Amino acid sequence: MSINVMLDEFKEIAANPKKQLEHYKGQGKKAIGVLPYYAPEELVYAAGMVPFGMWGSNKKTISRAKEYCATFYCTIAQLALEMLLDGTMDGLDGIITPTICDTLRPMSQNFRVSMGEKMPVIFLAHPQNRFDENGLAFTVAQYTNVRKKLGKIAGAEITDEAIKNAIKVYNRSRAARREFVKLANDHCDVVTPTKRSAVLKAAWFMSKDEYTEKLEALNAELAKLPVCDWQGTKVVTSGIICDNPKLLAAFEENNIAIAADDVAHESRAFRTDASETEADPMMALAKQFADLDYDVLLYDPQSAKNRRGEFVANMVRESGAQGLVLFMQQFCDPEEMEYPYLKKALDDMGIPHIKLGIDQQMRDFGQAYTAIQAFADVLEMNK
Amino acid sequence: MSAIYTLGIDVGSTASKCIILKDGEEIVAKSLIDVGAGTSGPQRAIDTVLANADMTREEMDFVLATGYGRNSLMGLADKQMSELSCHARGASFLFPEVHTVIDIGGQDVKVLHIENGTMTNFQMNDKCAAGTGRFLDVMARVLEVKVEDLGRLGAMSQKTVGISSTCTVFAESEVISQLSMGTDKCDIINGIHRSVASRVTGLVHRIGMVPEVVMTGGVAQNTGVVKALEAELDCPIHTSPLTQYNGALGAALFAWQAACRKSR
Ligand code: SF4
Repeated sequence: MSINVMLDEFKEIAANPKKQLEHYKGQGKKAIGVLPYYAPEELVYAAGMVPFGMWGSNKKTISRAKEYCATFYCTIAQLALEMLLDGTMDGLDGIITPTICDTLRPMSQNFRVSMGEKMPVIFLAHPQNRFDENGLAFTVAQYTNVRKKLGKIAGAEITDEAIKNAIKVYNRSRAARREFVKLANDHCDVVTPTKRSAVLKAAWFMSKDEYTEKLEALNAELAKLPVCDWQGTKVVTSGIICDNPKLLAAFEENNIAIAADDVAHESRAFRTDASETEADPMMALAKQFADLDYDVLLYDPQSAKNRRGEFVANMVRESGAQGLVLFMQQFCDPEEMEYPYLKKALDDMGIPHIKLGIDQQMRDFGQAYTAIQAFADVLEMNK
Repeated sequence: MSAIYTLGIDVGSTASKCIILKDGEEIVAKSLIDVGAGTSGPQRAIDTVLANADMTREEMDFVLATGYGRNSLMGLADKQMSELSCHARGASFLFPEVHTVIDIGGQDVKVLHIENGTMTNFQMNDKCAAGTGRFLDVMARVLEVKVEDLGRLGAMSQKTVGISSTCTVFAESEVISQLSMGTDKCDIINGIHRSVASRVTGLVHRIGMVPEVVMTGGVAQNTGVVKALEAELDCPIHTSPLTQYNGALGAALFAWQAACRKSR
C-alpha cells in the first residue's frame, strides 16, 4: 500500500470518531470513553474493550454542556461533555474521568451528574506525589478500583495475565509512535503537519493492536525513503492539543515542518513505557505513572530547577528545529502557569518561540496565520 | 538601467493602503481608502495609487501584498508577506536606528524587535480587542466624538480617571457609568488612552524594550495614546506622517528586493 493511501486512512479515522465507535460496536465490542490525562488504558484493553480518547472536537460548539459547566472550563473538557450529551458518543459503555488538573476535578462530577443512568462514570484520582511507596500504593488502589468497575462493565473480571499482555501491546504501540515521530521529522516533506497530526490522533480511536500494525507498516515504508533535504524551517510544537487541520495548514503554507512535539495529545502520551517484567502488573502501571516526567500537569519535586523548560528547549536543539510554537488553550491554568518557565528556558538558549492562543471553537484563524507566517520569516532569518 | 517601480499593498482590517516606490528609495505615490479586507477598498486603493502615479499595473516590476486581507489579492500581487515583516521593514526605512516597533492596528497590537533592519522577535495581542484601534472606535462612539478628535480632546484633560484595560466590553460600561456621573469627556478620553497604553506596555515588556522605539499603524496618529505610552514606557516614541502607510511601504521595499533579484 502506498504511503499516501496509508496516511489517508489515518486521516479518515482521525476525522470520524463516531464512525469508528460504530465500527467497533458493530463487531459486538464494548467501548469506554477515556478523558485526559493518563488513565491506564491498558486496563480497558485487558478487559477486551476499546478505549476511546475524549479530547473534545474541532467541529462542535458548546451548547448543552453549558448547562453543567462554568464558562471558564477549557473547551476540551466542555466539548468532551457535549459529545456525550448530543448523541455523538452514545455508543460508549462507560467513561473514565481522571482528575489531574483543576478543571477536570470538578468536571468529573459534572460528568457524573449529567450522565446519570446513561452510562457508568469511573472516577480516577491520581496522586500528586506519585513516587514514594505511599504514592505508588495510592495509584495501585485507584487503578484497582478502575479495574473492578471496568470488569463489571465487561462482564468478567480482568486477569493479571490480560493486563500483562495489554502492557506489551501498549509498549509496542508507544514505541511505534515514537519511531513515527522520528520518521516524520526525517520525511517532513511527505508527513506534513496535518498528516502527522492525523496519524497520532487516530491512535485515540483505534484498538491499539490494530493501530500499531497499521503504523508499523507505515513506518516501514517511510524508513525506505531517503531522508528529505528540507529547505523550509522546522519547529517543535508544545501544548495540550494542536490537531486542527486548518491551523496546521498554516504551517504547510509557510514551509514549516514539525520536528518533534511536547504536546499532551501526542508525544507526552507515549513517552513512557510500563515494565513488562514487574511481577504485579498493577504496580507496573503505577510505576509507569510515577516515571512520567517533564510534564506541565505532574508534580515535580525539583520544579525550582526548571528541568521541564530545559527538557523542551533541548528537544528543539536536538530535533534540528529552529524554534517552538506553543499552542495555549484558553482557560488552561496548568499551561498558562508553566509558560513563564518555558519562556525563560527558551530565551536562555536563544530559541525563538510564539504562543498562539487557541480553543476548539475557533473558526477564524486570521491572526494565527499572520503570527505563523511572521514566525516563519523570523526563523528563516535565523537559519 | 531603467528605474524599478514596485507597489506595496497593505490590506488591513479597517483600511487599505498602497505605496509605489521608485528604485526602493523614492515614494512616487500613495493612497489610502478607509475600508479594508473584504470590501472594495483594496481595489480602489490600487486604482487610486496607480492614477496618482500616472502608471499602470503592467509598469510595476513587482507587487507585494500584506495585511490581514493579503490572501485576497493573490491574483494581482506577485507575492504576499505577513504584515509584521513589512512593518519592521517600513519602520527601519523611516528610522534606521529603530529596535522596537509598536504597531496598533484596527484589530490587533503587535510589538516587533528589530536588529539590523530585520525582525528577530515579535509579540501579538491575545484574541481581545482591548488596546486596539477597535477599542478606541467603540469608546469614541459611546462618547459621541470622532476618533480623529480623541488626541486633541484628551490633551485638555484636567483630572485622572481610571478606565480598566482588561476588556472592551467592561471598559465600555465603565465609560458609560463615568458619563452618567457627569465626568468630563476629556478626562474620560485621557483615561482611555492610558488604558490602551498600559495594555500595550505589557506586550512591549514581554519581548523587552530596546530604544529607539517607533510607533506605526493608524493609532499612532492619536497623540494622546502616544503620550500615554511614552509616560508608561518612560521613553520617547517616534512617529512619522507616513505611519499609516508603514506596512505598505515595507511591502514596496520587499517588492523592490524581489524585483532586483528577478532582474539579476
Ligand atoms: S490541563 Fe488545561 S486543557 Fe487540559 S483539561 Fe485541564 S484546563 Fe483543560
